[in-house]
Amino acid sequence: MKSLDKSSWIERRRLSIFMALLGLILLCPLPGHAYAGPGAGFAVLSSFWTLFVAFLYSIYAFFVWPFRQIFRFLRHRNAYGKAQIKRAVILGFDGMDPELTERFIAEGRLPNLSKLREQGTFRKLRTTYPAISPVAWSTFMTGVNPGKHNIYDFLARDLANYLPYLSSAEIKGPKHSWKIGKYTIPLGSARIKGMRRGIPFWHFLGEAGIFCSVLRVPVTFPPEKFPGVLLSGMCVPDLKGSQGTFCFCTSRTSGDKFREGGVRIPIQRKASHCTSYIPGPENPLAAGSGDEMRVDFEIHPDSAKNRARLIVGSESLILKVGEYSEWIPIKFKAGVGFSAHGVCRFYLKEITPEVEVYVTPVNIDPGRPDLPISHPVTYSIYLAKLFGPYATLGLAEDTWALNEKVLDDQAFLAQCYSNHEDRERMLFDALEKTQQGLCTCVFDTTDRVQHMFWRYLEEDHPAARGVARDQRPTVIQDLYARMDALIGRVMKQIDDETLLMIVSDHGFKSFARCVNLNAWLHQNGYLALKAGKTESGDWFDDVDWSRTRAYTMGLNGLYLNVKGREREGIVEPGIEADSLKDELRRKLDGLVDPASGRVGITGVFDCDSVYAGPYVDNAPDLIVGYGDGFRASWDSVMGKVTSQIFEDNLKAWSGDHCIDPRLVPGVLFCNHKIGEEKPAIVDVAPTLLKLFGIPLPGYLDGKPWTVGAPINTSAVASEI
Amino acid sequence: MGSLGVNVPSCIVIGISLVIGLVMVIVFGYTSDQKAIHVAKDRLKAQLLALRLFQDQIRVVLRSYARIVLATGHYLRLAFKPLLFVIVPITFLIMQVDRYLGSVPLTTGQSFLLAARMKSTDSFNQVSLLLPDGLRSSAPAVHVPAENAVVWRLAADKDGKYDIKVQVADQFFVKRIVVGSGLPRLSSVRMQGKFWERIFLSAEPALPDNNFVQAIEVQYPARKIAFAGTEWNWIWLFFVLSLAAGFLFKSILGIEI
Repeated sequence: MKSLDKSSWIERRRLSIFMALLGLILLCPLPGHAYAGPGAGFAVLSSFWTLFVAFLYSIYAFFVWPFRQIFRFLRHRNAYGKAQIKRAVILGFDGMDPELTERFIAEGRLPNLSKLREQGTFRKLRTTYPAISPVAWSTFMTGVNPGKHNIYDFLARDLANYLPYLSSAEIKGPKHSWKIGKYTIPLGSARIKGMRRGIPFWHFLGEAGIFCSVLRVPVTFPPEKFPGVLLSGMCVPDLKGSQGTFCFCTSRTSGDKFREGGVRIPIQRKASHCTSYIPGPENPLAAGSGDEMRVDFEIHPDSAKNRARLIVGSESLILKVGEYSEWIPIKFKAGVGFSAHGVCRFYLKEITPEVEVYVTPVNIDPGRPDLPISHPVTYSIYLAKLFGPYATLGLAEDTWALNEKVLDDQAFLAQCYSNHEDRERMLFDALEKTQQGLCTCVFDTTDRVQHMFWRYLEEDHPAARGVARDQRPTVIQDLYARMDALIGRVMKQIDDETLLMIVSDHGFKSFARCVNLNAWLHQNGYLALKAGKTESGDWFDDVDWSRTRAYTMGLNGLYLNVKGREREGIVEPGIEADSLKDELRRKLDGLVDPASGRVGITGVFDCDSVYAGPYVDNAPDLIVGYGDGFRASWDSVMGKVTSQIFEDNLKAWSGDHCIDPRLVPGVLFCNHKIGEEKPAIVDVAPTLLKLFGIPLPGYLDGKPWTVGAPINTSAVASEI
Repeated sequence: MGSLGVNVPSCIVIGISLVIGLVMVIVFGYTSDQKAIHVAKDRLKAQLLALRLFQDQIRVVLRSYARIVLATGHYLRLAFKPLLFVIVPITFLIMQVDRYLGSVPLTTGQSFLLAARMKSTDSFNQVSLLLPDGLRSSAPAVHVPAENAVVWRLAADKDGKYDIKVQVADQFFVKRIVVGSGLPRLSSVRMQGKFWERIFLSAEPALPDNNFVQAIEVQYPARKIAFAGTEWNWIWLFFVLSLAAGFLFKSILGIEI
């Protein structure tokens, strides 16, 4: 043994000497071998280049810094002079429900929120009319009612054709193009117009010299310039320009189409492998032709190992069945000099007997954004370089894929929490970077998971009938506990001079029964179909507008077919319209579901009384407040008239908040005492402005709260 | 220049640079942790962007500087790992190429110095030089005790490969000298010692064991290669061209460097 040890010691020593000599050769080059090839050259050159750039920038920053400070001092003299706080951290949890929160606190699941409630503040936060995320978060950031920020729903209607369009942003092709034969050469980039009006409060803070980091707040696309950093959230489109179109590649033959949110793509079997493709945006060189660009990929199944190799462009990855890939860069090529860059994830669903692969919507590549998704543009790139590619799509959690049973519960949850973890990383980076000022981040996970898993929370939800009580996962309980743990980690990071506010835009309720308001309007003579029709197609196909007085599309808006406003309007504005609104309100308010005997509509609100501002004309005429357990039916939302008014909701999307806003307030937690007993989401912006000592603009609708002393936040945070 | 007016040495350097650039990129791709390098480079870029994004926050800026230094070190560590795989073959290759491209042969009529490095000055008086036809001595031998060397000034009357004999006592030590043009294999020095001791310096067999002569040297003029309007040492030209080739091929092959 000893001699063996000795020989191995000698071997090791020889190896060490060899390595040392090699190192010496590298360190002490002689003329003949001074240069050991491009490898060393690349390494040295690249790192030297980086250091050189950093060094140059350091020199620049060093010399410029005093001038910048002087400029800042002169411009923002005493930015924090009148501020009551040095830093505010606002965590937005979309859809966090106060009643569930209280229930879980009582069950001991939420120790951090429990302490905030005991020692700081917990209130129900009044939401907007309607209680829809883009509406409520727009009010949150601007401090005004929808009549002043112009967002009333995800969708707005085109008065010229009764078709919907996205209410938050309009994306058009370049202004000029050059037509050569069948090709169209775009001259310039896409035009993006934000439709939300009003000024987010962080603009005022930034102008006053208070740094702001704003992450994933809904309706911040397109990103607006302001002195701070912002990553856009809900309403950012995918690369196709939609709000999320997944791709389900399958070797099963089926003529079925997904109604919304996804496309079915066939998988072709070859001798040794399968091929399919990911459809992309329209080819810009063939604008108007409807030609989609596409990226082909190969699937090499390995049944023995229950996995497959996927080859996408230059990427090759091995996925087990039931496993997601990382974010894979995708490049759609239209021609020389024209390409679109996206990222997507693959989920291997099945390899035998059939092959099925789910592909997420192709997100705008944050490291190489073809559309701006952050301000400055480099911020999304910075985050991508720091943490790797991430979901940029506004509605990144693919609820449609779960609704359509392309994904199962586990796969959907895995996707949600993977995105959530990315956002947590971004939040903690923003916290580190924002030692003074405002740091705000909105997490969507709470909304998406509650939408899709409410069915397990309820005893007899139609979408979970037959699932035994002991087999129901505690997804929502776990979700709240997870958010509480995140809050605990944030509390650990902040000091007593930091205001921590946890807000949600609305709460949540069951969505067990669907109400087709268009069907009700039809059956009650307000909406007419063309002769011989008993139902319409999507988006009012077969509706006879010449005899239609009212219609609904989207989640809560009810519209009159007003003469001179709608293309084929018949209701005279003024007295006739007002009396029709009164009539509809009377008839709809208290509408009872005959099957359950429960009230399906608990309030119908006249927009003239709930909104005020320059954009009221764009609002629906009435806002319909559904009762607990009810919501607009899937068909009604898409402008379809069916024969049934009430029906069961059998989809996984089983919880909702697009109901009577009085039934779904949000939450407000704070590490300071807040005097206001009935705070509203519209008050957040003026409160923050006041806390930072910024004069309140006169047009704000919200009122600042009285904010008292802080608690020792980091000391009360629970380790999870 | 070659017979067709082609600058042969520069063509050789270009060819070698392209091949080595390509091979190095491929080897780099196979032997490096591509993903780790990608991540390391991205982290570096992120910190550079942070300097710009958060430029008014001095704590953030200073932290980013520190992270840039750390990330650079990490990147260097990752990038040097593949270097270990190629350092030996590339070093040998470069040494061999240097024999042909590093120097030019002596020319007819050009005087040059031949030095015999002795083990001690004791044998200075026993040293003599035997010149073949075509070579002549243009000055008497000079003793340089500080360097233990005896130096002769020589010149060639015609092109050729000459074996010069240095005689000490009754022993002869031969050194080859090349006079002419083209790209012959040149060795400045012939020396004693083991292979590993001679490999970097000499292209000739070792001198036989003896108690007198350590090495015999002749200084060939350095070769200048015309390229892009200027004259280059081949190694610098190789450095530039192989890097350029490497950057070109890495883009084509999609290899992260």
